[in-house]
Amino acid sequence: MTTENQIKPRFEFRAFGHHLEELINKMNQLSKVERIRDIYEVYLMSAGNIKNNVKIRNKMMDIKVLLSEKKSLELWEPYLVGEFPMKASIIRSEVFPAFGVESPPFERDVYTLVQFLDELISPDPDIIAVYTQKKRYAYTINNCICEVAEVIINGALIKTIAVESEDLKDILDTKTLIGFNEQEENVNYPLAIKRVIGLFPRPMDHLHLTKN
Amino acid sequence: MTKKEMKIGEQSKPRFEFRSFGQSFDEAYKLMVRLSVPVPKKVWERSSNEIYILSRTNNINNTKIRDGKMDIKTYVQTVDGLEQWNPLMKGEFPMKKNVLEEEVFPAFMVEMPVLEKDEYTLDEFLAMIIENKDLQAVRVYKHRFGYMVNDTICEYANVLINGAKVVSINSESTEVDDIKKTIADLGLEGVENINYLQAIKRVIGMIDDPLANE
Repeated sequence: MTTENQIKPRFEFRAFGHHLEELINKMNQLSKVERIRDIYEVYLMSAGNIKNNVKIRNKMMDIKVLLSEKKSLELWEPYLVGEFPMKASIIRSEVFPAFGVESPPFERDVYTLVQFLDELISPDPDIIAVYTQKKRYAYTINNCICEVAEVIINGALIKTIAVESEDLKDILDTKTLIGFNEQEENVNYPLAIKRVIGLFPRPMDHLHLTKN
Repeated sequence: MTKKEMKIGEQSKPRFEFRSFGQSFDEAYKLMVRLSVPVPKKVWERSSNEIYILSRTNNINNTKIRDGKMDIKTYVQTVDGLEQWNPLMKGEFPMKKNVLEEEVFPAFMVEMPVLEKDEYTLDEFLAMIIENKDLQAVRVYKHRFGYMVNDTICEYANVLINGAKVVSINSESTEVDDIKKTIADLGLEGVENINYLQAIKRVIGMIDDPLANE
């Protein structure tokens, strides 16, 4: 068992935007920044997949699975697939099913990360590799794990605030403490990235010419 | 023979352009502000919402829609690393079927959809774009600040591409040497020339290359 596998699933609220200063100021009043981390990750996005968050960090692939949704909060369970080089059998049985697309033919028994991205992901029109850099600021507020992060997605910046806990009520109370209104949309990472790369949503309303 | 003076906001013969995109051009921007001559108030600060139509099949036609008007520019040549683009067509919505068939879709270089109506509104046109797997419509918000350095039209801009922010800096002129001097004066030598089409494609993952800095 790995440390990642021992984490109990947590409910999560997350919002993305550019004008989060008031909320961040409030978080700074409620807690000190406990840790700052710089993280590089590759997200693997496919249009048909909304239940699995597939990403690679430091040659490790992990998949978070959306277990349930309550009061607009999402419960994600992390699952560590393994480290590159990775066996083709694992890629076939665990990775491609998470994308919701058919597995390609495999010409190797084992793939390095570069071979995986170049030979299996790049040629697949249904999967897009998205490169992210995150600067994450960790807080603890009202028993919740909170964070502010600056996220560069394929070179373009967005900001995010998250509140996580095993306890629904603690998250809802913390949202209020920080200053989110009740209707604030809960946007997970895959959805935010899909919006930036234009993979989702496809409806016309995302093209309406209103102020961003 | 003396060269014609560049004027901001006025038509000129096709210009060459240096432009780049990244997360920070702070030092170059400080120099741009210091070196600029006074410019007309109307270009001090401008903002606009636009839709770019990206085609997977080509990088030579640049299509954007602003205020219900379509503007397509086509790539002409590169001289000393500077790109020259010419206007290919300008049109307005609702747009006639024959304009879409003869000018717009050919510029995308994709399979022509069947057009059954005599004219199309912007929303109807965008619906066709969404249906086509080789095309993508991208929201772009620009907040632009205009300057003039070495008789070249310069700009610094905060740009949101589908809501995510990049910074752009540029110098354009009919005179290649003036742009090259401006690049040197702003400390931008060695910085990759990245046009809007390229930058948007890189952010949405249609091209797997980084921007000039992250």
